[in-house]
Amino acid sequence: MKRRLFTLLILLVGLSCKCQVKEGFGLFTDHDLYTSGENILLKVFVPSNELPGIVNVGLFNLKGMQVSAAFLEMTDRQANGYIHLSDTLSSGCYFVRTTTRTSATQTVKEVYIANRFSGLSESGIFLRPTGVVPIFDVPIQTLQVEGIEKSYKRRENVHVTLRFSSELLSQTDGNLHVSITRLTPGFNFSTFYTHAKPEFSRTVGNEGMIISGTVTDAGTAKPFNNAIVFLTVPDSSPRFQYFNTAENGRFYFQLKNYFGEIPVVLQCFDPERKHELKIRLSNTENLLASLPDFETIVFPPELREIVAKNVEAHNFSRIFSQLQLKEKPVAEAKAGKYPFYGVPTRVVYPKQFIDLVNFDEISRELLQGVRFRENNHVLTLQLFNFQRNKFFDEQPLILLNGIPVEDIQAIRNLGTKEIDRIEVCLSERFYGNLQFPGVIAIYTTKSDYSWLNESDSVLKLRLNAIEPPSILNSPTDNNFKEPDLRRVLLWLPSLKPEPNMNIEFQTSDVRGRYKLEIRGMGRDGKFFYKENFFEVN
Amino acid sequence: MLFVVALLGILAANKLEAQEEVPKNWNAEKIRGNRFLPDATYLGTPFIFENFLNGKIELEDGTMIENLRLKYNNYRDELICYNSAISTQIVVDKISVNSFTLTDEKGIFHLFRKLYYTGLMPGDRYFEILSEGDISLLVYRKILLLSCPVYGEMGKEKNMSYQEAFSYYFYQVKKGFELVKPEKKSLLSKFDASNQKSVKKLLQQNKISVNDETGFVKGWNLIKSSGVAVNF
Repeated sequence: MKRRLFTLLILLVGLSCKCQVKEGFGLFTDHDLYTSGENILLKVFVPSNELPGIVNVGLFNLKGMQVSAAFLEMTDRQANGYIHLSDTLSSGCYFVRTTTRTSATQTVKEVYIANRFSGLSESGIFLRPTGVVPIFDVPIQTLQVEGIEKSYKRRENVHVTLRFSSELLSQTDGNLHVSITRLTPGFNFSTFYTHAKPEFSRTVGNEGMIISGTVTDAGTAKPFNNAIVFLTVPDSSPRFQYFNTAENGRFYFQLKNYFGEIPVVLQCFDPERKHELKIRLSNTENLLASLPDFETIVFPPELREIVAKNVEAHNFSRIFSQLQLKEKPVAEAKAGKYPFYGVPTRVVYPKQFIDLVNFDEISRELLQGVRFRENNHVLTLQLFNFQRNKFFDEQPLILLNGIPVEDIQAIRNLGTKEIDRIEVCLSERFYGNLQFPGVIAIYTTKSDYSWLNESDSVLKLRLNAIEPPSILNSPTDNNFKEPDLRRVLLWLPSLKPEPNMNIEFQTSDVRGRYKLEIRGMGRDGKFFYKENFFEVN
Repeated sequence: MLFVVALLGILAANKLEAQEEVPKNWNAEKIRGNRFLPDATYLGTPFIFENFLNGKIELEDGTMIENLRLKYNNYRDELICYNSAISTQIVVDKISVNSFTLTDEKGIFHLFRKLYYTGLMPGDRYFEILSEGDISLLVYRKILLLSCPVYGEMGKEKNMSYQEAFSYYFYQVKKGFELVKPEKKSLLSKFDASNQKSVKKLLQQNKISVNDETGFVKGWNLIKSSGVAVNF
């Protein structure tokens, strides 16, 4: 009996050891206090045991529900970006969390967000986590900051030199993060590690975004085996993927090299056309893995004043349309030299010909090898197979702005005014295991997808793919007439460390105490920092 | 009994935390192409490798697709892939391919690369790389369909036959293609008169006779490693 209890104990200890967080992400933000409508600037250092790829950063409310998210591209185990705070966020404490889809750890930082219309709650109390073990980083002395004064005037140009010792340079892993932000005195928001449940195994990798979900039989609600799921990213050169579900009805798609918001269409169907299917996406990202306990805190009066001023400053900056960030151009994902359906046999631009009112006329007058007919109120579309010198018996793959269309009615009324170009493949085409008896791709002048009705088997989404890189918008002229309401004077998240580094910035019109912060990660995986403070009067 | 239940409970609880496993090759790159339709039967064969061989394709974007059953149609300069899932032979879109490899029945590895041929009938062609380097030695393993006498050893036969018409080239990215014959004279012509003697001596010392493809490749590799300047 004792031996059994001992075995059980060892097993429990062994399993619980998994929950011990040994090495986590370094997560740093520009502030702790925000106003809705602002951006949370982010700097993430990634542990050495993580796979390269994408870092997921999410903003969660106290119920553990995700309210906003960003996918940041990892470069040299670091990631930079921001989370935009919606204007409608209610005032209160929130969590910024960073992890990857294969990570067993996550780093969580608490922030306070004040709604820009309602400000702080009248009661002046709020909930914040308790019982968490905050992370304390190591301050370093081997980094010297030269040329920094105790105080500066508003709109003053400042020049600072950072001098690194050779020892520190050799111990630094990757780039440094340098920032100058307005300090919020008297309140410390903590950052802590928690255990995470990895969404996928490491074999899946961490590159690109994964869209996953389940296809079920609409009648029985059971997972559907062998359903075909199409994913299309509609564009002038569309991207297309497909997936055959297994017995569990699950499907997975990976989206690589997409930046910003992208439209995505998911369609599923039974290849035998016998069952009505239902498609739904997985929602695993939307919950925080574990929530800490909370305690009620009274908002300090001096902090109330600071929050009120922040809200006022933000509202002013909105009036003057001052943008905090500007996006850097990125090379968008290309669909390749040619579309997924192959090099078209013919490309026809109907505008080069006389106006034709519908697709019937266009097919008869302009499209050689396309037979579009209506017999007994039944529409048929057939393409000529040049390889076999006869028309295909089956309906071809019809694409409207890159999206597969099953119902020919959708293209029936498209005339010269609506169509930009038509591409036709007059041969039997293969894409992986899919076989198409010819392809006809119609691209309309308006790239809208309103004709595609969302249903159980069709999902129209707008996904936030990888966040495009952005830089802080700093004024280049200190004589501009608008008020300069920046609270972040400098945000250089990826600076290559050198023995002597010159930093230049300009103070804003916002008075107060500012912090110059230099952060980095050592080769031992530990984070270090150096802080200097100054006043702007 | 209680012990077993407790043990199973703990293990099950742990299993519930396990991350989602996705099917193997869930994200594999898809091959694109047309259905392969065989040509009419003539004498000979349009293939130098009659059977499907193990191979891999490197696509234009650098993606590698491995463990494929491939066949090279020398007559049409087309790559054919057998898709066992749908039991179909697919002519892979040439525009999508960067290179492909075949391992023949003897275990010999053949690397073919798509290059833009600038000579007569310009266009993308698959060249087999015989020797790779700053100056590469390539062969375009073309099979032609030519007319032939109708009556042969078997009596009345076809009036067309497939015939090998391989072309060998030196290739450099900047200078393009230069036709060469797999003969000693042609090889020597690529060197200065002053170097030709040393090249001849080098071939003699290593007992390499340059009178066929194998000898030509051996000779070229030897000369390349000796560092003799080539006129190209």
